[in-house]
Amino acid sequence: MKTVALILLTAAVLAFTPMVLPPFDVRVGQLMLYSAALGVAWSILGGFAGYASFGHTAFLGVGAFGAGLIEDAYGSLPPVSAFLLGLATAAVACAVLSAAISYPILRLRGTFFAIAMLGVAHVCSELNNNIDALGGSMGLNFPSVAPVSVAPEAFFFELYLAGGVIVLLIALAVRNSRFGAGLLSIREDEDTARMLGVPTERYKRIAFVVSAVLTGMLGVIYAHSLGYITTDSVYRDDTSLNLVVFSLLGGMGTLFGPVIGAGLLVFITQVVLSRLLDFHLFATGLLLVILVLAAPGGVIGFVRKWRRRST
Amino acid sequence: MHLITQTVTDGLVLGGIYALSAVGFSLIFGVLHVINLSHGILVLIGAYLALFFSHSLGIDPLLTMPLVMAALFALGYAYQRLLIQRAVDQSHLGSMLLTFGVGLMLQNVMIWLFSPDMKNITPSYAFTSFHIAGLTFDAVRVSALLASLLLLSCLAAFLKYAPQGQVIRATAQQTLAARLCGVDVRHVYALTFAVSAAFAGAAGIVIGIILPFSPSDEALWTLNAFVVVVLGGVGSPAGALIGGLLLGIVSTLTAQYIGPSFPNATMFLMLVVMLLVRPTGLLGNAFAASR
Repeated sequence: MKTVALILLTAAVLAFTPMVLPPFDVRVGQLMLYSAALGVAWSILGGFAGYASFGHTAFLGVGAFGAGLIEDAYGSLPPVSAFLLGLATAAVACAVLSAAISYPILRLRGTFFAIAMLGVAHVCSELNNNIDALGGSMGLNFPSVAPVSVAPEAFFFELYLAGGVIVLLIALAVRNSRFGAGLLSIREDEDTARMLGVPTERYKRIAFVVSAVLTGMLGVIYAHSLGYITTDSVYRDDTSLNLVVFSLLGGMGTLFGPVIGAGLLVFITQVVLSRLLDFHLFATGLLLVILVLAAPGGVIGFVRKWRRRST
Repeated sequence: MHLITQTVTDGLVLGGIYALSAVGFSLIFGVLHVINLSHGILVLIGAYLALFFSHSLGIDPLLTMPLVMAALFALGYAYQRLLIQRAVDQSHLGSMLLTFGVGLMLQNVMIWLFSPDMKNITPSYAFTSFHIAGLTFDAVRVSALLASLLLLSCLAAFLKYAPQGQVIRATAQQTLAARLCGVDVRHVYALTFAVSAAFAGAAGIVIGIILPFSPSDEALWTLNAFVVVVLGGVGSPAGALIGGLLLGIVSTLTAQYIGPSFPNATMFLMLVVMLLVRPTGLLGNAFAASR
């Protein structure tokens, strides 16, 4: 209950920031919220159950393109109902895709699962790009949903905030349920969990579908905030990898880890390094190396260790 | 009939090069159980070094091979001892992200040093080709293939007969038992990494003379290596050869008969299907289980 109150209170405070901050900072905040929401959605499978996917952009792209195609087909609808229709389509498309591939792909573990998901993302991206009816290479336009009186960056800030809060609350509910405890037991030792009667296959599959659906719906918001997408703007390997880094940076498998990690990484790359574009790759790489070698538990792991030592 | 034979032949030539580019990745995976996501960068370093040496010394790029391999051998040994060794005992994710981070840093360094533009190495025989039994062969591709096969055989012989190679295989099969017998496992890991890096560099030279390359190609070569290993099986030159040839044939056939933009889709589809049907590769696992 305390956590729910904390989340809602923070969100309520954040909701006022677009009124006081300059547009550039609102854009950075928008990116932070979007990354945090994606990171939490990834973490339901990757953090809680320990199935780190390297190809979650598959769902991001399928969601965005599914929504774009349906919104094109029903172009006469008012923008808001088209947007809601798009969200629903993305959810259904990602649920069907993830449920279908979950049967074979969740048999793989560890590295093999990670790379197979990368393969899935690449297959989706290539097919989307090369089949003309899907509009991947030409690109799709999205109608603007922001009301005329509100600045678009502020509107999307609030939209991402709402999305982020919903995703975080879902993750919290999962974490505190029997289902969530089952996912953690899968991460710790899948074979033992199964032996003790945890329905591991069913739990993994549900976590996979939930994670995929949330990712797909966030993809729809992202596509609307861009206004125009091609295959290259949604199926990006660096996005897939960043999702892993958010959790790692904040604290793998914790609820707030991805949020902290996303905020920190976006701050480092967009604010600290914004003038040093040539240095981006190097800095990200260096950060990864330092993290793995010095703080494998991320920020939260580091704080916990420090607290334990001081008591 | 003629078209399909020519396509398959092209696929085999390309496959031999894929095999060489993947063998180092395969060896590291088999012995250290580390997925080296900086593999593609090591390949590209080889290509750039060959470009540099062949220009500054004015010799054929294939003749720079000993120099390039020696440089990468040293680099690989140091890289493993200083960085990878610290992450070997961590989770899979730890070592993967570490190598990925190093890959990003090196990619950035290469962009600073060599610019992000496409480069290629053009040997003197670049545009000659010859015909055997109605099939066309490019001199460059054939010499690249021969170099690949020669190097793969050398590596196979080294692993099979040389004392150092036998120690590498022993460590891969039973790390604990090898340690009990007095093997310095850290040294063997570093040696394996060094040999793998040297072969990645050699692959880079061969790739450099047949295809243009740029620092952002690294992901492609890492993924290619992964697909080859998944197809053929982990840890042996023979597995890499089979996986590479298969990948080469499939990608040329797809490009010819389905469409020039589809080889990547089929390649990854094959990767996913293969992981599901037979995760140990066609030859099975030469070394300890890596699942």
